[in-house]
Amino acid sequence: MLFSSFSFGLFLPITLLLYWAVGFKRIKLQNFILLAASYFFYGLWDWRFLFLIIASSLVDYFAALAIKGTENNNRRKLFLYSSIIWNLGVLFLFKYYNFFIDEFSLLFNMQQGEYAFSTLNLILPVGLSFYTFQTMSYTIDVYKNRIAPTKNLLNFLCFVSFFPQLVAGPIEKASNLLPQFSGKRSFDTTQVKEGLRQILWGLFKKMVIADNAAYIVNMVYASPEDYGSLSLLYASVLFFFQIYGDFSGYSDIAIGTAKLFGFKLSKNFEIPYLAKSVTAFWQRWHITLTRWFTDYVYFPIIQKNLRSNTRRNIAIFITMGLIGLWHGADWTFIIFGVFQGFLIIVERTPLSKDRKSSLYHKALIPNFMVPVLSFIFITLSCLLFRSQNIDELWIILKRIFSFIPSDSLGSLIDKRFLVFLFIMITFEILTRFKDFPLTHLEKYINRPTRWVLYYIIIFIIFRYAGPKEDFIYFQF
Amino acid sequence: MPDPKKTLSIFSFSEAQLRFLKYCAVFFIPVIIAYFILELLVLEIPINYKVYGNHLNNHSEEIEVMALGSSQMKCAFNPAVSNKSAINFASTSQHHNEDFHILKGTIDRLPKLKTVVLEISCNHLELPHHANDYWKNSIYLKYYNVNAFERPTWTKDKLIYLSNARFYSHKLMDYYFYKTDKSQLNEYGFDTNNFDGAFRKLNYDVNEIEKHKFKIITREDLTIFKKNTAYLFEILDYIQKRDLKVIIVTVPLYKTYLHKRNPNIVRRRDSILSVIKTKYDNVVLLDKETDTLQFNVHDFLNENHLNPDGAKKFTAILNRKLDSLN
Repeated sequence: MLFSSFSFGLFLPITLLLYWAVGFKRIKLQNFILLAASYFFYGLWDWRFLFLIIASSLVDYFAALAIKGTENNNRRKLFLYSSIIWNLGVLFLFKYYNFFIDEFSLLFNMQQGEYAFSTLNLILPVGLSFYTFQTMSYTIDVYKNRIAPTKNLLNFLCFVSFFPQLVAGPIEKASNLLPQFSGKRSFDTTQVKEGLRQILWGLFKKMVIADNAAYIVNMVYASPEDYGSLSLLYASVLFFFQIYGDFSGYSDIAIGTAKLFGFKLSKNFEIPYLAKSVTAFWQRWHITLTRWFTDYVYFPIIQKNLRSNTRRNIAIFITMGLIGLWHGADWTFIIFGVFQGFLIIVERTPLSKDRKSSLYHKALIPNFMVPVLSFIFITLSCLLFRSQNIDELWIILKRIFSFIPSDSLGSLIDKRFLVFLFIMITFEILTRFKDFPLTHLEKYINRPTRWVLYYIIIFIIFRYAGPKEDFIYFQF
Repeated sequence: MPDPKKTLSIFSFSEAQLRFLKYCAVFFIPVIIAYFILELLVLEIPINYKVYGNHLNNHSEEIEVMALGSSQMKCAFNPAVSNKSAINFASTSQHHNEDFHILKGTIDRLPKLKTVVLEISCNHLELPHHANDYWKNSIYLKYYNVNAFERPTWTKDKLIYLSNARFYSHKLMDYYFYKTDKSQLNEYGFDTNNFDGAFRKLNYDVNEIEKHKFKIITREDLTIFKKNTAYLFEILDYIQKRDLKVIIVTVPLYKTYLHKRNPNIVRRRDSILSVIKTKYDNVVLLDKETDTLQFNVHDFLNENHLNPDGAKKFTAILNRKLDSLN
């Protein structure tokens, strides 16, 4: 069930009415409704996935309780590692097994014959990477005594499966989301209106920006051999805005939906195309994922020697490589991550003895060019993200840098779409200090004008939505 | 002060909630009404799918020939000049998986059906099939009563405007506002006025046409090729079991298009056609893709589509093939 689908348009109000109607004093009942709705939402993709999410939830629920229940450090470690092995094992089996087997067979020339490995015919459960990371962070935080484990199984199941953020984040830390399932909630009209406005803005980004960009990008990338350099470059830039519109639009809908239920989710995007460096980009793009890897991979590596540049660079490489791998089981994703790591290391390497003389702190080019340069690097990295494999990437890069005339560029440029893109960027930049452009509109314009604005956005979504596309991050 | 409760059925809402629900109702009712007006207006537009559907419903007892394929086939076969009672289900971007759904979904309603005309263009075998939620599935469901979704369907699957709001918004504007829609559909849904293509704009000037840029997909994809070929054999097996004849057609292409085709794709497609010829005794081929003798520049709408004059010629050739089957 896509957030931009008719089915979700029915599912959401029905769930919401039930949730509101039972009253905010009956938190258990409300949580039960949320859990049932979340499992229904998830089960619509494939009901078999439900077993996995329930199993993962139970493993981490009991592992955390067991960690808390013993003072013996070895036993605590045992419970922690059991949970991590389960989570990473499931992730590896469903997401990475086939990739590693293929690569291993290729390396040792064992694709055929007596000792050939066989791949598994498994479907990747939607949202697996998101909820696995969420549950894993819970157990680690309990182990590190950052949070106390919950004894309330219902609340914990809700925390893992909360449908607004279940399939594509934001990846929430237990310390932020879990207490909200036991805390007091109330019906706040202002908050609900904010939620609806954020959903509207998210739908605009997904259906008008991302889906229209996808139409052009898919056309070009379906047959890159038939397009010239500028056309490929144009499609690649559009791809950046496609994934941005797609994923940040999804996040807006998720955060907005959560607000309708009285929950607050973390911000996931902070106008990443304005980033002044690759480092800053990752602090603005998929913020909750970057934060996860920073907290659970990067910091543990560097904490033993905070001043060692070598250790820091290794940590960056490992963290970014893993972020790349998190996105998918393919060399393109690994290279994507490592390339990002390389750029971050380059821009953070001190140019003199002064630690603040790196490119990150002092740009060698005029200030206004810095975001442009970062954007170019990010767009180039996006080629890795979009290409099906290394061969395709090579074809595209070769064609882009061969300066082949682009006769079909004119037919790819949809002026109306570019106007919408401009509107999105302008609104976001103008309201950059707010959560999203339509927030707290009632402070600035009266109700009739607000309604006209909403109707216009709804009209634009209906009239100019691109062909329906799945959310890109669902595949991760 | 605690919010007083009002009871609605078994549930209760607070005053604030009820106020908000009323606010939402007032806001969304105009949106819903506007949507249904758009839906009704779209249903009034005379589009070819609607005519195909009507023809299917009114002549199901007579139809002997069913044509399936993409826009190339849609433009090439005019059932009005066919010797047999025929229906042309071909439509823009329609792939073999949609063809198969249409065939399976209508075959039991066509007791006299003897022949299926199936197009295999040079790109058919290396272009991916559409997904199960392809927007045209709503059209097939609404007008042909064919479920191509591969799942149970709901009322919303029949909402035509919603299936592709962008496409139908254009249609609405063209039909009701700009009145630029020049199509003249005959009783079979074939557009007899479909001349306004690139070639007419270039005054059928061969030299200008030589210079004209057009879109052609030349990408090879062996994975898709294998998958699509297996699917094609599945279709042919199904038809064979139903004791029907098949004419596999390739539609004429203009010479500039012919030159730009990827030879590897063409070679693979042709090798599959040879395999089909030997494997299935109920299949005959009508390969007109490279027929530059019978089809001249005036028969084309653009590089890869015939205009109604070309369709007349192509249908005559198909007629002879159909006659030869009996």
